[in-house]
Amino acid sequence: MKTEFFGSLKRRAVIYFIITVSVTVLGFRLFQMQIVNRQEYETKSSDNSVKSLELNPLRGLFYDRNMNLLVSNSPAYTLRITPADYDTSLNQLIETVIDAESGFIKNFLYKNRVYSKYLPLRLKRGIDFKVVSWIEENSENLPGIDYVLEMYRNYPAGVNASHSFGYTKEITAEQLANNKEYYKQGDFVGYNGIEKNYEDILRGKKGYEYVLVDSRRRELGKFKGGTDDLLPINGQSVVLTFDTETQLAAEKEFKDKRGALVAMDPSTGEIIAFVSAPEYDLNKFSFITPKDFISALYNDPAKPLFNRATMSINSPGSTFKMLAAIAALDLGLITPSYTINCTGGFTYGRFFKCHGSHGSVNVIRAIEKSCNTFFYKLIYKIGLDRWKEYALKFGFGKKTNVDISEEIPGLIPDENYYIKRYGDNWPKSIMASLGIGQGEVSVTPLQLAQYTALIANNGNSVQPHFVRAYLDPNTNKLIPLEFKSINTEINKSVFDIVKEGMFLVVNGKGTATHIKIEDIEIAGKTGTAQNPHGKDHAWFVAFAPFDNPKIAIAVLVENVGFGGTHAAPIAKRIIETYLRGLNQKENKQIDSDSKFAVKN
Amino acid sequence: MRIDYNIEDKFDFGLLIPVLILFGLGLLAIYSSTINNTLAQDNFQRQLAWGVLSIIIFFIVYSLPTKVFKTVAIPSYFLSIVMLILVLVIGRQISGSKSWIMLGSLGFQPSEFAKIATILAVSWYLSRNNTDIDSFKDILVSLAIGLLPLMLILLEPDMGTSIVFIGVILTIVFWKGISSFSLFVVLSPTFIAVSAIFGLAYFIVGLAIIIAFLIIFKRDLFFSASIFALNLASGFFADYLFNALGPHQQKRIQAFIDPMSDPLGSGYNTIQAKVAIGSGGLAGKGFLEGHQTQLQFIPEQWTDFAFCVIGEEFGFIGSLVVLTMFLILFLRILKIAFSTKDEFLSLVVIGILSVYFIHFLINMGMVVGILPVVGIPLPFISYGGSSLVVNMLMLGIVENIYRTRKNYT
Repeated sequence: MKTEFFGSLKRRAVIYFIITVSVTVLGFRLFQMQIVNRQEYETKSSDNSVKSLELNPLRGLFYDRNMNLLVSNSPAYTLRITPADYDTSLNQLIETVIDAESGFIKNFLYKNRVYSKYLPLRLKRGIDFKVVSWIEENSENLPGIDYVLEMYRNYPAGVNASHSFGYTKEITAEQLANNKEYYKQGDFVGYNGIEKNYEDILRGKKGYEYVLVDSRRRELGKFKGGTDDLLPINGQSVVLTFDTETQLAAEKEFKDKRGALVAMDPSTGEIIAFVSAPEYDLNKFSFITPKDFISALYNDPAKPLFNRATMSINSPGSTFKMLAAIAALDLGLITPSYTINCTGGFTYGRFFKCHGSHGSVNVIRAIEKSCNTFFYKLIYKIGLDRWKEYALKFGFGKKTNVDISEEIPGLIPDENYYIKRYGDNWPKSIMASLGIGQGEVSVTPLQLAQYTALIANNGNSVQPHFVRAYLDPNTNKLIPLEFKSINTEINKSVFDIVKEGMFLVVNGKGTATHIKIEDIEIAGKTGTAQNPHGKDHAWFVAFAPFDNPKIAIAVLVENVGFGGTHAAPIAKRIIETYLRGLNQKENKQIDSDSKFAVKN
Repeated sequence: MRIDYNIEDKFDFGLLIPVLILFGLGLLAIYSSTINNTLAQDNFQRQLAWGVLSIIIFFIVYSLPTKVFKTVAIPSYFLSIVMLILVLVIGRQISGSKSWIMLGSLGFQPSEFAKIATILAVSWYLSRNNTDIDSFKDILVSLAIGLLPLMLILLEPDMGTSIVFIGVILTIVFWKGISSFSLFVVLSPTFIAVSAIFGLAYFIVGLAIIIAFLIIFKRDLFFSASIFALNLASGFFADYLFNALGPHQQKRIQAFIDPMSDPLGSGYNTIQAKVAIGSGGLAGKGFLEGHQTQLQFIPEQWTDFAFCVIGEEFGFIGSLVVLTMFLILFLRILKIAFSTKDEFLSLVVIGILSVYFIHFLINMGMVVGILPVVGIPLPFISYGGSSLVVNMLMLGIVENIYRTRKNYT
């Protein structure tokens, strides 16, 4: 049955064919790889062997208006874990060394499972130098554990200002997904406040160092002798509008209170002091923040993370009476000689109470005495929509666009609002309360401060802001930032009348005479925000000095009752602190500028 | 006795010169890939020493009387079986396989010597008078001679070398003149085994193809059914064997199907090898200038992945030189196998050709990423003493047979 003898020509041909085809196929494959697709492989080859190391720039610093350092950077050691290399049997040991509770690392790894396991994660910042030397000595037995020297934020002036400064935190996986071109896992970004709003200015520009690495990512030396390296560009420092002494005084005032304080320079819109109380400790955010700390902040009934100065809305109470007065005077509806007779209240559908029988009152006296009857009547003269028009001129019912992002617009109701709510035949009696700043109208402390500033400066000011300028890192010169100016286009004579009323609140027979001081003429207005959930909130708005206002202030103290008693003294002390500081500086200036200067 | 002064009639330079060029390129590759590796820095000198030794062995074997090969066939086969058993007992495990016998500081791999011993033994068996390659018995015995060392090598475990044995036996049996039906009977279980490893669907399709062939060949029903049963058994056995494989070998097979599935693990070598070769371009990055090589992206690049160094540093031109040298070598050996009239010697030569060719094909296929990563060296180029010595020894046999080709009729 054997049909073919061994080694026949046919069999040789088969083997010949197999050999030549195989060699040809390999030849084509090599041609394809080395000639056709060469570029692709070449790119991969250099990606492989050249590693770029990020060089982190220093984050920009914060200075106050007098160039005192408020926020700076300090070095600290950070302990890191690379999950892919880490051996979880080390958990207990590491937890003991860094003084963490048992299960901390397990939790940490679980929480961070969304991040790449080949990149190091920060386990703890600010570790002790003893821990660093321990890691150094035992590095052989600690796979996936290392430490780096990093910068963290510190606050040398003792100003906490948590809600305005904000803090920096490791970028979240979600943010990272949206900002892949600049950020990498583990980068710190600004959260809240100035840190967030000025992130682009503060962060600087990362540098890169290119090194040759082998297959085990060991560094072998500089790539191309370092000629391609890019030095990092440090972040630009910002000069804030804060006055450190005033800010410290304001923070102290609110140590054990809830509320907010905003003090501004009326002519420039610069925020001199800004407090939302209770605050939270920024220093704790500089380190890896323990989860308990964060959740404690979130669950705290006092809501420390909530920025009351820009986010809390309350009815402005009697501090809103100047708005109605200005509207009526500017519209020519009343003159200073216009008077009404207060008999202790006003009837429009129902009876609206005044807190006394003030008899015959004109607009100045009505502000001084905070006569409700006068303003109940006035609001009907003005009409709801015209009243709203004036409220908008003063920045109510919309965001102030202050240069931190957490802000809400508040509410100024108009006809449409009530029609929507109650139908076409909405009860007009509702309007009466608006005249005295009660009812649906709601404002933030920042809006009220801006309003006070506009009154103080006769209707002209600048959008409120925290940052005055930033430092050009090359020339070390200050580059001022521009902010939109605000102009109410209301006659100065209108403000003179209203301001006289506010002057008398403190210096006449008004509701805040107890804060009168000899050498500083303060003008102000008390207010009480009715609080359906508990004790009323106290408002006080003020500006000083009366002739040439340098500071306008709005103070809110929650759940304490009448504004004159609780909020006004705080405003007084802050005004004093700021103006006395200002005087000292001016005196120094005068002394040094000219010894012939005459004091008047 | 007439003295023939025509040296080319006694010595085929077409065999030795390509091999020396390949060896030279291999030395450059080993030098380049170990110069920055403190653990392997003396590999270049060692390979050079092995090279000198193997050339001496080549000439000794060349000058032996040709009938010696038939004489030593059976003894060397049994010796290699003993060594293969011995290595399982006292062998040293290097990178997952127990394939080394240490003599002092020198180590050698019995599986390398088993290759030539098996070729001699199978050739001897098939070249006896009155063998019928299509008889059930003779096929079975030839296969058994090859399967015994194969099983022992699988136990080490060394899959790459085992595959070489299968290829060698099939080539010799083919050269001997097996009929297409018998070849089908022999090949089909392997085919089914491979398809079974790929998955159930492939297994079923494979079985369907077998049935189709059985219908075409029109053998009697009982015989066809037996063959089908054998195939079925082979498939289940392969599946069992695959599951019994070490995880690193399973992963390699999976990584071949999709290298990116595990870029830092099993697929890593394939990716890095392709990057090295591809980035070489036409003329290469230059000797000692290859990033992939110098920065050691491929572990132990001087062994199985030595070709990557040539591809990266000498480019497509270097690759073509390697392919051409191998092509010349293969075709010369094929010519000798064909022109040798003695059946035993012809079978030996074709067996040696198959060893070279299968090593070449599997290794090159692996480094260019068209075959799975199977750890076998590229003949004459990869670092390794045992492999070089045996390859040169086999070349000596071929050259010897060339010298005496005219003595047989």
